[in-house]
Amino acid sequence: MENKVKLLFASALIFIISVSFRQADEPALFTIPSNFPKPTYDFSKNPLTKEGIELGKTLFYDAALSKDNSISCGSCHQQSAGFTQHGHALSHGVGDHFTKRNSMPLANLAWGNSFGWDGGVHDLDLFAVSPITNPVEMDESLANVLEKLRYSSNYPQLFEKAFGTDEINTERFLKALSQFMLTMVSANSRYDKYMRYEGVELSTAEIQGMEIFKEKCSSCHSGQLFTDFKLRNNGLKLARNDDTGRFEVTQTDEDKFKFKVPSLRNLTSTAPYMHDGRFTTLEEVLDHYASGVENSPTLDPILNQEGTLGIALTTDEKQKIITFLKTLDDDVFLNDNRFSESIGFSESKPAKKDIFAEVVDLKAVSPQTKATLQQSLAAYLKIKNALVKKNTDLVAKETESFLAVLQKIDKTKLTPSQKDFFDKINEKLAFDGDHIIEGKPFYNHQVDHFGDFSKSFYLMMASFKPNKTTLYYYYCLNSAQNWVSDKANESNSALLNNKCGSVQMKTILPKM
Amino acid sequence: MKKLLFLLLICSVSLVNAQGSVSLQFENFVGNEPVALKDKNYTNATGEQFSITLLQYYVSNLRLVRKDGSEYILPQDESYFLIRENKPETKTITLNNIPKGIYTGVKFVIGIDSVRSASDVSQRKGCLDVGGDGKDMYWAWNSGYIFVKIEGTSPQIDRKDPVFMYHIGLFGGIGDKKTLNNIRIADINFGEKALKIKSKGNAVIGIKTDVSKIMNGETNVSMAKNPVVMGGPYSAKITENYKTMFSFAGFKKELTAQPNTKVALGMN
Repeated sequence: MENKVKLLFASALIFIISVSFRQADEPALFTIPSNFPKPTYDFSKNPLTKEGIELGKTLFYDAALSKDNSISCGSCHQQSAGFTQHGHALSHGVGDHFTKRNSMPLANLAWGNSFGWDGGVHDLDLFAVSPITNPVEMDESLANVLEKLRYSSNYPQLFEKAFGTDEINTERFLKALSQFMLTMVSANSRYDKYMRYEGVELSTAEIQGMEIFKEKCSSCHSGQLFTDFKLRNNGLKLARNDDTGRFEVTQTDEDKFKFKVPSLRNLTSTAPYMHDGRFTTLEEVLDHYASGVENSPTLDPILNQEGTLGIALTTDEKQKIITFLKTLDDDVFLNDNRFSESIGFSESKPAKKDIFAEVVDLKAVSPQTKATLQQSLAAYLKIKNALVKKNTDLVAKETESFLAVLQKIDKTKLTPSQKDFFDKINEKLAFDGDHIIEGKPFYNHQVDHFGDFSKSFYLMMASFKPNKTTLYYYYCLNSAQNWVSDKANESNSALLNNKCGSVQMKTILPKM
Repeated sequence: MKKLLFLLLICSVSLVNAQGSVSLQFENFVGNEPVALKDKNYTNATGEQFSITLLQYYVSNLRLVRKDGSEYILPQDESYFLIRENKPETKTITLNNIPKGIYTGVKFVIGIDSVRSASDVSQRKGCLDVGGDGKDMYWAWNSGYIFVKIEGTSPQIDRKDPVFMYHIGLFGGIGDKKTLNNIRIADINFGEKALKIKSKGNAVIGIKTDVSKIMNGETNVSMAKNPVVMGGPYSAKITENYKTMFSFAGFKKELTAQPNTKVALGMN
């Protein structure tokens, strides 16, 4: 009973602290700008938390979401480009593939009712699955991404902070990403401040531009979001248009060549324009509407007034519209470090210099895998002994045996993240191993490659931890010479040269 | 207070006693030949040979029809199953807590209903998990589940890779996104026989799935002409074909042991 009272008291205290803390120090995680309508996203099904947003941001900037760990969401949605991909007409996925569309700007997603240029995804929470699985974007499966995260050293903790336990599942992953993306609100342009009477005045030309815009553009680019979120055919030249847009989703003829009406915020940063990035300047865009609109059965009726195509615009009007559109540039948004990639924030940055940071904690290593890796340790030590004795033929022979042992790894016994990791290490070991074998007559060549070979070997042992006793990794401070041993304080002058500086030792403890 | 709890306890115990379980055992056939992946060759109505490399489909929203025509509707959250030919354990699904009584048929959705298709991520567990068991039955770019998926090869397909793939889905769309609605209901009658569900034991209903009906029927599908059918209008013809592919295949011997009864949301 006493405990209960204590507990009650403690939780009340925590509640009071958290409430006051929030009120005192922290800005709200999401506020509706006073000139904006009510968001469409249902926040009650995914309440924002600081930790959830943080996790979402880490995921957004993590290349582990892609098949070869090379591309993150942030690769094609760069903040300084209004969350589009700088200078890319078509966005650029893994393996140098191009998608068929321009990266859509990400801002004010809480107000969207469908996502992507064709609006094929109805829920922001479900959107990320699309780029992750698209073969020309991230070419990965969500299941595999979740596996990578489960076996990473940092994510279980981040999920626990965000959701209470370290379970990593589809719902949590997607909702965390949404939490971060929902906070990306762009509502601090000069236009917004003018609308909210925050002491900003627009120039006469800007106001004139706004009036022309209201009259000629706002039936589609409507409201404070500057889009009605509808899908329309805006009469782009069909010759270049084999992308049928909305039709690909609905397969209805009336949807051919229809694309989402995009918002017009941050246009200065989001060039090039249109779903395929065909126009590089706003002048070209307005020229299109004034004189480039092409008729077709699905052309939006607004752009076909009794046979007159497009929107009548004089050169002066075009210029004024552009002048107005630039008041929608939101530098606060483009520079807000709540949305910026923080250096060293995410785990799987490629090409880390520090080998120790590349060690991962591979959980649930099967006994079979451990046994084979223990054999590889014995084989590795034989290579090293042969090298110390400068018997180059034997070095080659033992290296062949070593690589043969790794061939015996039964990949069906590996988890997806173990397999990914093993494949990468195995490739490096095979590369340096082949050089050691082929470099047979040249002792120095063998020693050179043995350095990198040992580094990979260390990484494999330190990550899988198959060893029953403590192992030691020796490395030079000033050169790439290093080796693994089962003995402490080993001096191996044969493997060193005068570039080494001092030799350091790191232990690989057996897994508990 | 304690008395009331006790009463409640008794009530719930007797409720449990008034319920039984039933399994549906799906057996995939091409006509009258059992499906064997890869090895076996079959012929469709247009005379093309083919073999099957992959076969899987969702059944959901199950209802048991009582003798008087009323229906026992399975709780929504426990009513999603993914049958995979290459995973025998998925081909028998067990429904628990079925009220005792006489049942004359079963109905289910072939695929996933539109409400669940449009639902929040929290409602997509088990075989509906797009980052888990449902990952290969989901169109990410056009949010929706694939209801029926069959793939294989046919020498009549004049391509370097003579593969056919029929991935049929589409639940009608959401908001102003209107797509085909390929949701169909299987309505299976046990005929002369009736199923008596008792509190003990586990009755087993055999369901024959004749996948030849995916290709043969109102429209005889030519694999050579239509090797790949996914979201296009032709999918409606295939759906019309396969809506009758399920039939009653007798009651099977009761499973001896009570199978694992605890079922999570969206099982299988």
